[in-house]
Amino acid sequence: MDQTQVVEKLAELQTLIEMSGTINMEVFYWWCTGLMVIIHAGFLAYEMGASRLKNALASGVKNILALAFIIPTFYFFGWWIYLAMYNGFTPDFEAGAAGLPWASAMGPNLADNASGIFWGAFVLFSATTASIFSGAVIERIRMSSFIILAIILGSVVWVLGAAWGWHPTGWLTVEWGFHDFGAAGAVHMIAGFFALGVTINLGARIGRFAPDGTPIAITGHSVPMSTIGLMLIIVGFFGFLGGCIIYTTGGQWTTIFGTPATLSAISFNTLMAFAGGIIGSYVITRQPFWMMSGALAGIFSAAPGLDLYYPPLAFLMGIAGGVIAPLADKFLTNKFKLDDAVGAFAVHGLGGTVGIIGLGIFSGFPNVVEGAPAITFLGQLKSAAVMAALGFVPGFVLSYVMAKAGFLRVPPKAEEAGLDLVEVPLSAYPESVPAKSEQPTAVSSPMTV
Amino acid sequence: MNASPITSWEGVEAYFTFADSPTAMMIILGVAALVTVGAIIKSIAHENSTYIDYK
Repeated sequence: MDQTQVVEKLAELQTLIEMSGTINMEVFYWWCTGLMVIIHAGFLAYEMGASRLKNALASGVKNILALAFIIPTFYFFGWWIYLAMYNGFTPDFEAGAAGLPWASAMGPNLADNASGIFWGAFVLFSATTASIFSGAVIERIRMSSFIILAIILGSVVWVLGAAWGWHPTGWLTVEWGFHDFGAAGAVHMIAGFFALGVTINLGARIGRFAPDGTPIAITGHSVPMSTIGLMLIIVGFFGFLGGCIIYTTGGQWTTIFGTPATLSAISFNTLMAFAGGIIGSYVITRQPFWMMSGALAGIFSAAPGLDLYYPPLAFLMGIAGGVIAPLADKFLTNKFKLDDAVGAFAVHGLGGTVGIIGLGIFSGFPNVVEGAPAITFLGQLKSAAVMAALGFVPGFVLSYVMAKAGFLRVPPKAEEAGLDLVEVPLSAYPESVPAKSEQPTAVSSPMTV
Repeated sequence: MNASPITSWEGVEAYFTFADSPTAMMIILGVAALVTVGAIIKSIAHENSTYIDYK
């Protein structure tokens, strides 16, 4: 073999290695996206189980529709928002061009292995955001109102948060050194605070509070189904967290901000925080429902630093999340008479807040964007406030307008009859128990701390 | 029907149905968006009719 042939062979080999790396990248995100679909199987089971029998299917339909409507709307405008709006409210039309629905990157393209697979992962992040909100409003929201709010949250609001704080040149990153590896702010805080805003205007389910304001437990029809659903969400979360890192052919993994990371670090910390969340909630509540919700809160409480933490610290952060979530939910229910049916605000909104601020306390790592400040407590605190406001304000304002227009909530008689009977032409368990009106009971509820 | 202008894979990179006609692509995109909005409107109409018995 002469020198020319050797050079040709090396070039051929180089091309093969690069193609192999590109395809590995595609395969990695393909399976992350598939795993994230399991999150929705989890939310489906979780919310159906947490609903009374008369609302089981309506809750499930709501969940399926959130996924279905987010996908096309994220295609129509969500991806463009992420690419174009990293500066704040002023779009960068040049950067956003690749996300326009008629761009060549937004369809079958033999020269682009990345756009579609990243879009796929992001659209599942969007759908997860909408599903978090979904659980808070079960059993009394109008289906169409829910769909509109879910689209606004999943294809506009969270994407804006992601562009600001979960983008390598997002203004929160560049100006305040914001670091949020696992999207505790962009996904969980925004969804949780949006749910809080809507819950305030939607009001409590009929019978949730006695005339004197005493909370009355409303028990879901299948706590085992809810518990399994929560476990499925955890399974899907491994896909979610995989989707939070960037695969680089021939180089180390990085976070979405470009800082070095490994799946190994995330494995250590995710599992430690998961265990901490369960233990924290177990100590406080002894209930399987809250133990698994606590596992989620535990992961969110460590999510911003899953790439950075010393694992026992992630465990302690998880315990903090697992303790805070059920206590906060009880406080909000008793004090403010809020009826967040699955504790979405406490688990996701407050769990995410603990995570964002916690990273500011425990980390001082540098940023890689040139000129951007290092991670600081003040930067994390201010960024948490931005994420909270970005979630709460649109949720509150939109639902306020809808409520005033009489378009937010189902009529009281329909609520009492059950939404399966009114909205869904099907009964959950027709051969054994018909869908019919049930009175809330004062027996121990899965949501009682 | 010969909807696609692509007759050979040689040199093909991005490809959409009606890839050679931006107008056709915009019409398809517009229809897709209208169907999405229409489904929500249909949902509202369904609710309004079912709620009549529960006012």
